[in-house]
Amino acid sequence: MIWLTWRQHRQQALFTLIGLAVLAALIVPIGLAMRHSSTALGIPHCVKLMGDGAYLSSDFPDKCNNAISQFTNQYNIVNMVGVLLLFVPMLIGLFWGAPLVSREIDEGTHRLVWTQGVSRGRWALVKFGLVGAFTLVLSIAYGLGVSWTMTPLSQVGISRFAYLSFDMQGIVPIGYTLFAVAVGVLAGTIWHKALPAMGATIAVFIATRVTSALYARPHYMSPKVLTRPVLGPGAAELNPAHGDFRVHEAVRDAAGKIVQDNAQVGCPPTVTKCGGVGKGAYNWMQYQPGGRFWAFQSIETGIFIAIALLLIALAIRRVRRIS
Amino acid sequence: MESVLDTSGLGKRYKKNWALRDCTLSLPSGRVAALVGPNGAGKTTLLHLVIGLLRPDAGGVRVFGESPHDNTKLLPRIGFVAQDTPLYRDFTPSELVTMGSKLNRGNWDSDVARNRLAQLGIPPDRAVRKLSGGQRAQVALALALAKRPDLLLLDEPVASLDPLARREFLQALMGSVADTGTTVLLSSHLLGDLERVCDYMIVLNSGRVRLTGDVDDLRANYRQLVGPRHDGAPIPGVTEIVRQSHTDRQSTLLVKTDGPITDPAWTTHDVTLEDLILAHLVETEIRGTHTAWGVPA
Amino acid sequence: MIEFVLDGRSKVSTYMQLVQQVKQALRVGMLEPGEQLPRMRDVAQSLAINPNTVLKAYRELEIEGLVEGRPGVGTFVLRSLAGDSLSHQAELRTDLVDWLRRAQEAGLTSEDIVALVDTTLRATLPQEKPSNQTRVSG
Repeated sequence: MIWLTWRQHRQQALFTLIGLAVLAALIVPIGLAMRHSSTALGIPHCVKLMGDGAYLSSDFPDKCNNAISQFTNQYNIVNMVGVLLLFVPMLIGLFWGAPLVSREIDEGTHRLVWTQGVSRGRWALVKFGLVGAFTLVLSIAYGLGVSWTMTPLSQVGISRFAYLSFDMQGIVPIGYTLFAVAVGVLAGTIWHKALPAMGATIAVFIATRVTSALYARPHYMSPKVLTRPVLGPGAAELNPAHGDFRVHEAVRDAAGKIVQDNAQVGCPPTVTKCGGVGKGAYNWMQYQPGGRFWAFQSIETGIFIAIALLLIALAIRRVRRIS
Repeated sequence: MESVLDTSGLGKRYKKNWALRDCTLSLPSGRVAALVGPNGAGKTTLLHLVIGLLRPDAGGVRVFGESPHDNTKLLPRIGFVAQDTPLYRDFTPSELVTMGSKLNRGNWDSDVARNRLAQLGIPPDRAVRKLSGGQRAQVALALALAKRPDLLLLDEPVASLDPLARREFLQALMGSVADTGTTVLLSSHLLGDLERVCDYMIVLNSGRVRLTGDVDDLRANYRQLVGPRHDGAPIPGVTEIVRQSHTDRQSTLLVKTDGPITDPAWTTHDVTLEDLILAHLVETEIRGTHTAWGVPA
Repeated sequence: MIEFVLDGRSKVSTYMQLVQQVKQALRVGMLEPGEQLPRMRDVAQSLAINPNTVLKAYRELEIEGLVEGRPGVGTFVLRSLAGDSLSHQAELRTDLVDWLRRAQEAGLTSEDIVALVDTTLRATLPQEKPSNQTRVSG
């Protein structure tokens, strides 16, 4: 069964590895260039200063501000292009997961392979297991590779905790990939043709990822809260060097009710009214500290892997009952 | 004699249509049985129920006494070639034999396949999609025979083959049956090849069994009678009138007999298997679809 | 060794054709006592016919005392047919020719004669059945 799975998918595996190599060939030089550029601009020193809290004070050297500006402007595009990488897990799910069962049934070869001496359960387990293992290794390589590339940027203010950044690096691509493959496989057992299965995979994947990122992720752990008075130093600020994740910000009145949502206001201490809010109002921000990045990565990865395993179990059950 | 296949009240439904219904039959061991009927009669459904690709919606099926669905004990004993001989297109015949050996522990013998294919001159290292239809059919048969099965199920194995390929396939099949005594159940909607090859017959139409029996018994027990216009009176020696047609003066009857027809008014003729099968396939009147076509009825 | 040929359009059943061809070969001396008939397996394969059919034919010949099956070896001819029933046939033939003349004089056409023979044959002689129904079991 192992031999058969290998023989059936060896060409596809080769193409996938080539694709991964191409991706690496694009990403790695960029990562190296970023590091080179960063060192040349003296950014590591600035990062150290930021870490000491200097960023938020006026002591922070202008030279650093300039260097950081220059650096982020130069390489911001990487972050945007990186958005495309968000589709890699879905593509793996589409081309490895969706056709796995559906193509077998569509081409009628299930009538050959399910009538040999191997039970359907065993067939499914080995196939899904091996494909899962392969995509797991792929996603590990890809996730950590992107992490490595993004490090210089995340140090200077493109928070790796922010939306999209969080999704493309670290270990979450592993969860997303296995999830996408599992969705594809299950879709293939429901629609016995590759195209509808792929369509369903795209729809389910995007819907799940968007909802989980927007509604679940902010609440994996209780967010911390930061408040600053409206009059005075102004907006509550997060130190970019920490890479915090801003969950929600608003201006609340003295009673605690939100008077301006998704906004922060700041005025000099001398005025009586500021930005349309009354006395006693304060800036309020809910955030997840950057130090929790890996904890959040683990939680989200764990959730997606758990869902993937559940979907695979359902897929195996369906395969055994197909009639 | 041991019965290889037993079905009782077997039925299978797709949405609201019963593809097979009330199917009760018993296939004795050692036979080469033909499963005949028009397209859509339920032949493929029956075969898929026997090999365990489908689960019954009514009744039961037992092969060697066991239910075949997802049954790894039975699978090595049953060889199966599905309609249109599905094979992995980019595998070579040699790789398919390897696949067979990996998936079939037990009675599998790769040399059976290799010897057959060598004798037929089939190249071992050419991808299956580059082989002709006849060659593909031989590969599929070789794979099924390499299991050294006790029961061989073939779904329209020669339907899409040219006459030469068809002949070679049947030759290979008969040679194998002569060597191993395997029971064979092959479905076909082409009657021509079957008379020489099969000694047992199952006739299906619209999902129901119409006729089963030993070919010799069937030939011996059915006759065609031609005589003066028949009024419905019982004829000595006739147990059942299967089909009848009348002109104003003459009747032609296809009958089942249990003895000789001694009434000199009737001329008897032997019935070919083909006539017998066709007589059992005639449906009740076809309803015209004139309105749908927009023509006067 | 003889080779069998089948007439797909003949009304005669397959096994009967095999029997007849062996008998014909015996009559004309193509097969002589001691010679081996083609192996059942080979006949089944080359003609693409059911092995049981060949078995039935060989059994029929065995029952008529013409051949003998030796398990594991083959089927061998026991005696020839040359001239065997020819003497009987000569007598019957003469009687038949006389009867046919009389029938013709009575006004019967060939088709009338055939119909008469057919119905009388069925009514008079016992139904001919294949002599052996057992199956080969591998």
